[in-house]
Amino acid sequence: MSAEMSTETSTVEEFRAEVRAWLEAHVPAEPLPSWTERAGFDLHRAWERTLFEGGYAAVDWPAAYGGRDAGLRRSIAFAEEYYRAGAPERINMGGLYLLGPVLMQYGTPEQCERWIPDLLACRTIWCQGFSEPESGSDLASLRTRAERDGDHYVVNGQKIWTSMGGFADWIFALVRTDPEVGRRRKHHGITFLCIDLRSPGVEVRPLAMVDGTRGFAEVFFTDVRVPVENVVGEVDQGWRVAMSTLGFERGAVFGDHAKFTADVEALAALVRVRGLEDDTRALDELGRVLVETEVYRANVYRLAGIAEAGGDLDSTASINKVFWTQMQHDIFATGLRLMEEDGAVVGDPAAVPYADAATRRSWADWHHRYWYARAAMIFGGTNEIQRNIISERVLGLPMEPRP
Amino acid sequence: MTTTHPTTDERQELVRLTADLLGRHCGPEQLRERLDAGTAHTPELWGRLAETGLVSALVAEERGGAGLDPSYLSGVLVSLGEHAVPEPFLETAVVATSVLAAFPDSALAVSWLERIGAGDALVAVRLGALTPYVVHAGDADLVLDLAEDGTVRALLPADVDVTPVQALDPLRPLATVIRRGEDAGTVLGVAPAAVERARVLAVAGAACLLAGASRRLLDLTVEYVGVRRQFDRPVGSFQAVKHAIADLAVMVDMATSAALSAFDAVDEPDARRRAWAAKAYAGDAADRANVSALQLHGGIGFTWEYHLHLWLKRVMGLAASYGTTVTLRRELAVELLARTGEATER
Ligand SMILES: Cc1cc2nc3c(=O)[nH]c(=O)nc-3n(C[C@H](O)[C@H](O)[C@H](O)COP(=O)(O)OP(=O)(O)OC[C@H]3O[C@@H](n4cnc5c(N)ncnc54)[C@H](O)[C@@H]3O)c2cc1C
Repeated sequence: MSAEMSTETSTVEEFRAEVRAWLEAHVPAEPLPSWTERAGFDLHRAWERTLFEGGYAAVDWPAAYGGRDAGLRRSIAFAEEYYRAGAPERINMGGLYLLGPVLMQYGTPEQCERWIPDLLACRTIWCQGFSEPESGSDLASLRTRAERDGDHYVVNGQKIWTSMGGFADWIFALVRTDPEVGRRRKHHGITFLCIDLRSPGVEVRPLAMVDGTRGFAEVFFTDVRVPVENVVGEVDQGWRVAMSTLGFERGAVFGDHAKFTADVEALAALVRVRGLEDDTRALDELGRVLVETEVYRANVYRLAGIAEAGGDLDSTASINKVFWTQMQHDIFATGLRLMEEDGAVVGDPAAVPYADAATRRSWADWHHRYWYARAAMIFGGTNEIQRNIISERVLGLPMEPRP
Repeated sequence: MTTTHPTTDERQELVRLTADLLGRHCGPEQLRERLDAGTAHTPELWGRLAETGLVSALVAEERGGAGLDPSYLSGVLVSLGEHAVPEPFLETAVVATSVLAAFPDSALAVSWLERIGAGDALVAVRLGALTPYVVHAGDADLVLDLAEDGTVRALLPADVDVTPVQALDPLRPLATVIRRGEDAGTVLGVAPAAVERARVLAVAGAACLLAGASRRLLDLTVEYVGVRRQFDRPVGSFQAVKHAIADLAVMVDMATSAALSAFDAVDEPDARRRAWAAKAYAGDAADRANVSALQLHGGIGFTWEYHLHLWLKRVMGLAASYGTTVTLRRELAVELLARTGEATER
C-alpha cells in the first residue's frame, strides 16, 4: 500500500479502461478448480504468472520490482475491475498482502531485491508462521526457539494453522531469540525470520480444514539452519514487525470492497432466479448486506483519503477488521439462507443456474468462501481480541486486571 | 457549476468552529432549559449559527452567502448531531437553500434565499413519503413542499394547517402539514433534478446528524463506565462491557464514514445509493447506540434528571425520519435487482 505520488501518467479512468480490456482478454472463461488441490493450485499459479507478465501482479508496487507504481486510486480501480471481471482468487496472499508491504517497511534493500520480485511473479509462495499450538491469541507467549550459531540461527519448534503451508516455498516466522528477556517481558526477545521451507529439518504436515480441503498445515522445525541475513527488522525486536504485519492483515486492502460488491450482485441474481423479487424478507436480507458493502466502500475511500494526506491508519485497523469480517460473514450466510434447501448442496451450480460468468464463478465456490468468512473472524487476531484492542487502545477504557 | 471540496484543514476548522460555538451555547443545561420551557428553537441560538456564517454557507455570494459546496457542511452536520441541536439547520441551511437556488428567475425564491442568508427565516421541508411528519413546521416562516414529480411549492403559514403531534423527542418537534386547498401557496416551478438533489441532501444530512448523535451516546458511555466503580473496579474494565462498547464503536465509526462520504458525494452519479445506504446504516448504528448506552449506564440513565435521554430520543427520532432503515434498505434492494437484472438480459 503506497500512497505516495505515482509515476504512472495515465488518468485513473484511462488506467481502468486498459485494465478492463486486458482482463477481458485474459481471464479464464471458466472458474478455475479450487487451489486447495494440486491441479487447481497449479492453474492458479499459472494465472499469477500471466498477471505478472501483464504487469498487474501488484499495480501499486514499485516498477523496479515488477509493479506499476500506480498509486492508490489506480490500484483501487484495478481491484474494482479485477473483481468485476470475476478473475481468479489470488493465491500468494501471505506474500502479496503481508510480507511484501512489511519488507518495504522493514526490509533491507538486499532483502527487497532478493524476495519481492520472486513473490510478485509467484515463483515463491509465502506463508505466515505466527501461531503455535500453545500460542494463539496470546501470540507473544510463543516458544519456537532460534539460537545463534555463527552466521546462522538454529530453529526448533512448531507452527500451526499455517495457511497454504502445504503449497508454500518460504515461511516468515516469529521465533524466540532471547528467552531470558522474554520471561520477564514476553513481547521482547522475539525475531521475525524468513525460512526456506526446503531447508533440512523442516517438516510440513498439511491439515484438513473443516470443509475437508488441505488449506492449512502444521510446520515442524528440527535444528533448521537459517542464515542471519534472513532476519527482517532488528533481532529481538520482531514484535514490532509482527504488529505491522497484523496491521496489514486487519486493515483495509484498498479495493477489496469490489469483491463484496460482486458477491452481493451474485445474491441479487439468486433472488431473481428463485423468484423472490417481491418477498419482503428476501429484500430485507439483500438490502442489509448491500448497505454493508456500500458502507464499507465509503470507508475504503475515506481511508484512502487519509492515507493520501499522509495520515496514520493504525487506529482504524481493528475497527476495519471487525466490520469487514462480519460483513463478509453476513453476505455468505445470507446466500445460504436464501438458497434454502439448496444451501445444503455443496458447489452445485445447477441449484443456481446463471447466465453470466462472474455470477457462475461466484456460486461455484460459495461454500468454500462461506468457510473462509468464518475463518476470517478467527485469524489475524480473533474479533474478540480486536474488541479488546478497540476498547482499551482506541477508546482508552480501563485495562483488564492482568494476572 | 464546478464543485470545490474543502481541504482537510478547512473541514477541521469548520468543525472546530461549530463544536466551539455549540459547546458554549448548546450544552445539556441549555437543552434542558428548553425542554422545561417547551420550546425547541430559539432565535438566540439560530442567530449565533447565522452570525458564524454557517446558515448562509451554501447561499450564493450575490445573495449574501459564502457560495460554498455542500461538502463544506458534512462535518458540521455531524457536530450538530453530537450536540443534539434543536434547530432546523439541515432543512433551512442545506435543503431549502439548495432547492431555492434552482429557481434563479423567481423573485420569490430569490427573496427567501436572501432572508435565509440574513438569518431571518426558518424553513421546514416536506419531501413526500420521506416526511410523513414535518420537522420544525410550527416554527417555520416557510414550508417548502417538494412533490415526487418535481413540483416545488412555497407555502406560507397562512397556506397550511400545521397540526403538531407529540414528538418522542420534544427538542425535534413534529407536525403534520396540510395545504389549505389546491391553490394554496405559490408554485416556484417543476425541477425534478433539484428535488432529487434535495432528497439526497436530506437523507445524507440526516445520516450525518444521526452518526453525530450516536457518537455522543458512545462518548457519554465511555466516559461513564470509566468512572463508575463496582466490585472495586471501574465497570468499564469488565470485558462484557468493553466488548459491547467496541461493537458500538465499530458501527458508529463506519456510520460516520458512510454519512460523510455520502453527503460529500451528492453530485456524483451514485449519490442516491450512497445516501440511502448511509442513512440505513446510521439507523442501525443508532439503534445499537440507544440500546447499549442506556444498558451500560444502569439506573442513572433511566432518570429524567440525567441527560442521557436527550440523545436517546434524538437518535430514535432521527432514525424514524427521512427514511427508516427498513424502507431505505428495501428500496436499495429493489434498485439493485432492477440494475443487475437489466445487465443479465443485455
Ligand atoms: C483458517 C485459518 C487460517 C489461519 N492461518 C494462519 C496463518 O497462516 N498463520 C498463522 O500464524 N496463524 C493462522 N491462523 C491462526 C489464527 O491466527 C489463530 O487461530 C487465532 O489467532 C486464535 O488463536 P487460537 O486458535 O489459539 O484460539 P485461542 O486463542 O485459544 O482462542 C479461543 C477463543 O477464546 C477467545 N479468547 C482468547 N483470548 C481472549 C481474550 N483475551 N479475551 C477474549 N476472548 C479471548 C478467542 O477469541 C477465541 O474465541 C489461522 C486460523 C484459521 C482458522
